[in-house]
Amino acid sequence: MATKNISPHKFVTLVSSDGYEFVVLREATLVSPAIKGMLDPKSQFSEARTGRCVFEEINGMVLEKVVEYFHYWYKNREREDVPDMEIPVELCLELLMAADYLGLDSKNTRSFVS
Amino acid sequence: MGDLRAERIRGFRQRNIRGPRSALTDYLASQNISARQIRANHEARLRAAAAAAASDQAAASSSTAQNVESTEAPEVPEAVEDDEDDAESSVATGTRQAATRKRKSAAAAAEKIKKSKSSKPRKSRRNASDDESDEDALERSAGPVPGQLENCEECHKRFTVTAYSRAGPEGGLLCPQCSMKLTKEENAARSASRKGKQKATAVPIRRERRKIQSLILDGQIGVKTLMTLCVETLANNIHLADDLGDLPLPAIDRISRQLSKRRLMGPITLEFFLRPQTQDVMIYDGGRLGSTDYMRIFQICSTLKTLKLRNAIQFKDEVMEYLIGRHIALDTFYISGANLLTEECWEKYLKTKGQSLRSLRVYFTDRYFGNRTVESLPSYCPSLKRLKICHNQAVNDEGLEHIAQLRELEHLGLRLVSQTQTTPYVNIAQKLGGQLRTLSIRDIPQVDDRLLDAIHDHCTRLVKLRITNSEVMTDAGFARLFMGWKNKPLQFIDLELCRYINPVNPRVNEHMIGFCSAGFRALMKHSGKHLKKLNIHGCRHISGEAFEDVFAAGKVYPELLDLEVSFCEEVTDLIVGLIFKSCPNLKKLNVFGCMKVKDVRVPRGKILVGVPNAVGMIIEGTED
Repeated sequence: MATKNISPHKFVTLVSSDGYEFVVLREATLVSPAIKGMLDPKSQFSEARTGRCVFEEINGMVLEKVVEYFHYWYKNREREDVPDMEIPVELCLELLMAADYLGLDSKNTRSFVS
Repeated sequence: MGDLRAERIRGFRQRNIRGPRSALTDYLASQNISARQIRANHEARLRAAAAAAASDQAAASSSTAQNVESTEAPEVPEAVEDDEDDAESSVATGTRQAATRKRKSAAAAAEKIKKSKSSKPRKSRRNASDDESDEDALERSAGPVPGQLENCEECHKRFTVTAYSRAGPEGGLLCPQCSMKLTKEENAARSASRKGKQKATAVPIRRERRKIQSLILDGQIGVKTLMTLCVETLANNIHLADDLGDLPLPAIDRISRQLSKRRLMGPITLEFFLRPQTQDVMIYDGGRLGSTDYMRIFQICSTLKTLKLRNAIQFKDEVMEYLIGRHIALDTFYISGANLLTEECWEKYLKTKGQSLRSLRVYFTDRYFGNRTVESLPSYCPSLKRLKICHNQAVNDEGLEHIAQLRELEHLGLRLVSQTQTTPYVNIAQKLGGQLRTLSIRDIPQVDDRLLDAIHDHCTRLVKLRITNSEVMTDAGFARLFMGWKNKPLQFIDLELCRYINPVNPRVNEHMIGFCSAGFRALMKHSGKHLKKLNIHGCRHISGEAFEDVFAAGKVYPELLDLEVSFCEEVTDLIVGLIFKSCPNLKKLNVFGCMKVKDVRVPRGKILVGVPNAVGMIIEGTED
């Protein structure tokens, strides 16, 4: 990938509002157009330079699930028969907000995959 | 139970001489019911009752301690069973058991008491000798008589014994609930032990495959988005929710769609979508909502701007009156299936609230929303930009004339049931052509080339064009439309079923009626650059050469995402391959009824729908 040449880090750090840090494979986070935009080396955002994204709106529990989704997506992105990921019912609404915020919507993902 | 059947068989064998059997007897025999046995059972019951009465008398006279305490307790029969070893127990045991049945009779005999005791099947089975008399055997089998009441062995509930009642582990009978439970447990144990792990996993995989196919048909391939996963989880557990909180509009819309799809949109779930500051309410299945529910929308959402209701059957005059009475000025109103709203009510609504309306879409009405309503639109709704009237049975040519008076109209969609003529459409194209961005006219078999010429002459800003089911428009007309048209390239074109119909000789089309090769070439030349979606379903006279030319190597249609060429008979494997090459961003290609498509290599990420083979409805490409 082009980003690899510019940014040496294969991993990025996602930080939740309550200070939890998640180190995630960079490619896996790119499913989110929002994070992709943040990490775009052309963008000159501080996130792109440091490889560290802070989410003030997302707490640790929700971000953990989001990270789990990133891995789930990364692992299954080439497959057709994908088992559904379990979503804990109590986190459902907060996760929905986070999904909307990060652009994990059908339109965005579809265009990324292609 | 097995014993019971054996006894029956023996009973049949004894009947050597038989007359013609009635249908009823046959039926009863097939259900394992024999009149003879019923009679025997009945007699056994009578005898038991007699014995009980006798023992009552005996109990009264002897007044032993154990007898006194046992007369009322229902659990006693089990207590008796527990000490089954002393089968030759005293008369008192028999009396105790019989006494619980609380049957009264006058006669009394000691030996009959013994017989009644043998109505406990398990106990007597242990002790019965092989050469017992038939009468004894019959009586024994009579234990739990169909139709009789019995206490369940497990839960001690009283229930009616039937031929299907099961014996419990202790030998007593089980009530239907308990026996169902037992059967389930047994089946589970059996399948676990017999099939082992291999079979157990095989079943979900097969179901999985079906599910995947179904998902693909829904347009879902590969990993679901986090949004989709959340919305599905939420819909599964909607009964646990009491508020959706401040979700963004797209998420709310997704939830509403999912709930409607699962038919969960009822009065209770509706509440989640109603908040005082809500501006948009979208309900995709209002079939379970009543008039009062619709009124609640207007009660709670006082700042409502967009209202979208599908299957809003109960949206009646009273609801509309209520809306008219509230300080709500909708700018988008989409309503489908509300065919109880009368013409007067529509008129009244448009008169009072029409000023603010920018978009009005009305689907599925029968007697109302007719010419008069359409006539009133230009004066009541001066700022209307979008008008859609679909599946409408009341509007005809006369009403269409008035649509041309809508000065601001940019999007027009019509699908009228009544047969319409060319002139009113030509009139619309002449008057509104300069501003229309969407022109969608469905089901117009009698409308001819004059409309196409009018569009060519007057429409300059169209983005979306749909003309379907025309039986008289000609290929030359379509070619004239697209050749040298001042309009920018279109993004969406739908010319479904514009074709020549002749049942006698369907393939001969001398006068080139319908959308054929020349029109297709002109269309792709004009709009191919920006075309996103093209539907030429059923335009069967487009030739193979035309397809090959249009999608020839070197030609690129970069924005085409969705192409529908079903029932275009000349489409071959070669053409499908060319299409995939010249449309790099194509997502979906429909080829239903293209019988010359047999074996195509589908590139990764593209979907080919409707290939007539065993692989399935949809092939998702794997080739790189």
